[in-house]
Amino acid sequence: MKDEIINVALPKGRLGDNVYELFSKAGYRCEELENPGRRLTFENAEAGIRYFWVKPSDVAIYVEKGAADLGVAGKDILTEYRPDIYELLDIGLGRCRMAVAAPKNFRDDHRRTLRVATKFPSTAKRYYSSIGRDIDIIKLNGSIELAPILGLSDVIVDIVETGATLKQNNLEVYETLFDISARLIANKASYRFKREKINEIKAGLSAAIKERELV
Amino acid sequence: MTEFSQSELNERLRRVFENAGYRRYKMSKFEEYDLYADNKDFLASKSVITFTDLDGRLMALKPDVTLSIVKNFREGGDEKVYYHENVYRGFETGFKEISQAGLECIGEVDEYCVCEVLSLAAKSLMTISESCELDISHLGILCELFDKAGLSREGKAAALRLMGEKNRGELSALLKSESKDSALSGLILELSGHDDKAGEAAKFLRKALVGAVSEDSLELFCDTCEFLSEKFGDSVRVDFSTVGDLNYYSGIIFKGFVSGVPSSVLSGGQYNGLMRKMKKSAKAIGFALYLDLLEPLFNGGESYDADILLTYKTGDSLRSVYNAAEKLAAGGKSVCVMKQNPRDMRFKEIYSLSDGGEAVREG
Repeated sequence: MKDEIINVALPKGRLGDNVYELFSKAGYRCEELENPGRRLTFENAEAGIRYFWVKPSDVAIYVEKGAADLGVAGKDILTEYRPDIYELLDIGLGRCRMAVAAPKNFRDDHRRTLRVATKFPSTAKRYYSSIGRDIDIIKLNGSIELAPILGLSDVIVDIVETGATLKQNNLEVYETLFDISARLIANKASYRFKREKINEIKAGLSAAIKERELV
Repeated sequence: MTEFSQSELNERLRRVFENAGYRRYKMSKFEEYDLYADNKDFLASKSVITFTDLDGRLMALKPDVTLSIVKNFREGGDEKVYYHENVYRGFETGFKEISQAGLECIGEVDEYCVCEVLSLAAKSLMTISESCELDISHLGILCELFDKAGLSREGKAAALRLMGEKNRGELSALLKSESKDSALSGLILELSGHDDKAGEAAKFLRKALVGAVSEDSLELFCDTCEFLSEKFGDSVRVDFSTVGDLNYYSGIIFKGFVSGVPSSVLSGGQYNGLMRKMKKSAKAIGFALYLDLLEPLFNGGESYDADILLTYKTGDSLRSVYNAAEKLAAGGKSVCVMKQNPRDMRFKEIYSLSDGGEAVREG
């Protein structure tokens, strides 16, 4: 269907800008988005695409609930919330890792419950349950590195990019849980009814990613 | 948007099920909690509303219908039943009452029974909307491939999850780390991306899987695909991202989608694993249709609360108000009688009662 529009939820911020650049290279440029004004949605009817910016942690919700057909979300968010969506492509942007970090020379004393501070409670629970370790979760919304310094927790489970912040705070990576990067995700019903167009966008992005890797 | 209401849809579905000879299965709202505690993984939601009955037994408000039907199934016969019940499930925001319809075919489930249930699933979807799709897959075939590729128990569960996400990248990494058979790994990867019309898929599978899985299950599955393709055309597709829990489901598994609803509205499969777990030797296949998810399709219904609003004043006589309302309703119109026009209601016409006791149209 030539006239169908694909709604794409882009994550606000630097990652989103880079993701849009990929879409643009894949043939889905949108002039409205490049000159946004006060608009909230940006459309290129000819290319059959409509973009909107949302908070990165909300992208998966927009896609799961069908407000967006496609979106780009970090693997950290997808692992934490496990939305019922398709994960079609590793975009390769925003690479980092989910890790357990602790003060230097930390020793895990198995005689007592481990106190874990994190923004990702489900991820932390799942990991420690898989190794049979009893933990107390301390859910924080920011400045996670502060928790072990002030004795609020023994370790943290958080995103580590370069490790520089950890180092500055006398912390180090104790265990890497998984690698993180941005993923192209699709709503399951949209995939059924807009299959051709979604696969066309996926193929375009794949080609743009390969081209970027060659540069 | 559909042209009919939710109650009309319920009636149409009832006819689809009864025309195929399925009889209505009516059940009580309660069941002993043990039934759900023993089969928690089978439930869509793990949270159950429980209470202690007068005799001390721990009871639950039904979160599922299939488990009750299986529990009450008597071995030795065949049973074809349908239901339309409310179930009670926990969500992040709290418990919800959900309307669910579906059917179960239990007994000596042969190829005909499987095709009959799949056909009824397709017909149910078509009853809701012309723009629909039934996706089928085969867990038995996938498991055979996983076993031959040497995947561990955890590896199989992870592979199924990744297939369900169409996550080709991570599935490829998992197969590399768990399997030494690159040919089989390649085949599994190919299946994970395979998504085609049922007829075309049967042709592809016959070629791709010959020698890799048991001939019987491959032939039966391909035959089923071709049959569904003949009867329902492009509305039925084979999509191996349709997966389920291996402890309960065995052979064919399927999900249904209708345009305008963001998630699957129908889910079913052959649940011989559940039957064995509940110590029943019979085979079974069935599906559930989540009617509450169809609500967005009915939003275009009535945009007025009543045809007419009749307002009256303090002091107007009972009889004059009553007679004026009765006169306005004579043509079969709905009439709401109130002292003031309520802010949150809408009416096609508004009348007020004159001093002479006549209804006078406003505006």
